[in-house]
Amino acid sequence: MAIGEKPQIFMPPISLKAKAGSASGTLAVNPEALKKAEMAMDGLRREFADWLAEDIAALAKAFVAFTQDLSPENAGALFRAAHDLKGQATTFEYPLIARVAASLAKLMDGMQSWEAAPLPLVAAHIDAIHVIHRDQIKDASNLIALTLAEELEGRVVKTIAQASFKQCAADTRAS
Amino acid sequence: MDGLRFDKLRVLVVDDNQHMRKLVIAVLQAVGVRDLFEAADGETAWKTLRDTNPDIIVLDWQMDGMTGLEFARLIRNSPRSPNVYVPIIMLTGHTHVDQVRQARDAGVNEFLAKPVSVKAILSRLVNVVEHPRPFIRTKTYFGPCRRRRAVTAYAGPERRKETTLVD
Repeated sequence: MAIGEKPQIFMPPISLKAKAGSASGTLAVNPEALKKAEMAMDGLRREFADWLAEDIAALAKAFVAFTQDLSPENAGALFRAAHDLKGQATTFEYPLIARVAASLAKLMDGMQSWEAAPLPLVAAHIDAIHVIHRDQIKDASNLIALTLAEELEGRVVKTIAQASFKQCAADTRAS
Repeated sequence: MDGLRFDKLRVLVVDDNQHMRKLVIAVLQAVGVRDLFEAADGETAWKTLRDTNPDIIVLDWQMDGMTGLEFARLIRNSPRSPNVYVPIIMLTGHTHVDQVRQARDAGVNEFLAKPVSVKAILSRLVNVVEHPRPFIRTKTYFGPCRRRRAVTAYAGPERRKETTLVD
């Protein structure tokens, strides 16, 4: 179809509202549906511990692969494993694992090159996640785990800033 | 009680993390969605999309191979797309405003930030069914209107020049 100069605005031809919408068109979630779904989520909670353990094992495996070969593929796999934990660990009742994983994902995402990612700092994140899991620290205000998370976050910020500064300096010299 | 007819909906869940897929699918099954399809990567999702023609797609952003953003663009822009209008709910750990903007520009309807809650999942479903957004076609974009409110309710200056309303 040729696209004209003028923007076109139109309603999609397929109406889900006609197919599955409520009679009143309310935007509120039906309380009965919400209750059923909450019960389904509660039913899954007994599996959360196994799921989290599997996700942590996947992260550890991705880290080992990355240390053996600093390839973009392995770096990407490590970032995705950290990013998964960042998004899911809170649901699996470990908010501080989510926080440490978020810090690791930020580190992997923030480095100018994969090779520049400092392995000891990456390893420290993974160790912290193992410890929080091993000690079953589910309380987001646990002082020791919180201090550890904050320390790691601070180091990540500093590391990314230093890497960015080095890159700028190199760019300036080259130009 | 009056509510969405979840049993009428066909939903495709695309996420490379099997636990997140299981979780979302369990919630959808609990509220009555019967026709559920799943895929762990973009390539499989594309085939499933063509085979099953879902009403709604719940799509993870960060996947190995084709990302969720690339998949969303493919759905909206490919001449081989079976349904360029299918509502896409993007499930993601990315919450920065720039990332939300990227998702919108890829043609995503709704944004579902992790950690997910049951209420958030259901409210996004209700939104795409009960409050469908108009579509926009410009030289550089095709997808749901990126303005959050209804077009008729917009009171600011008109940046989109000479819009043509199509019946």
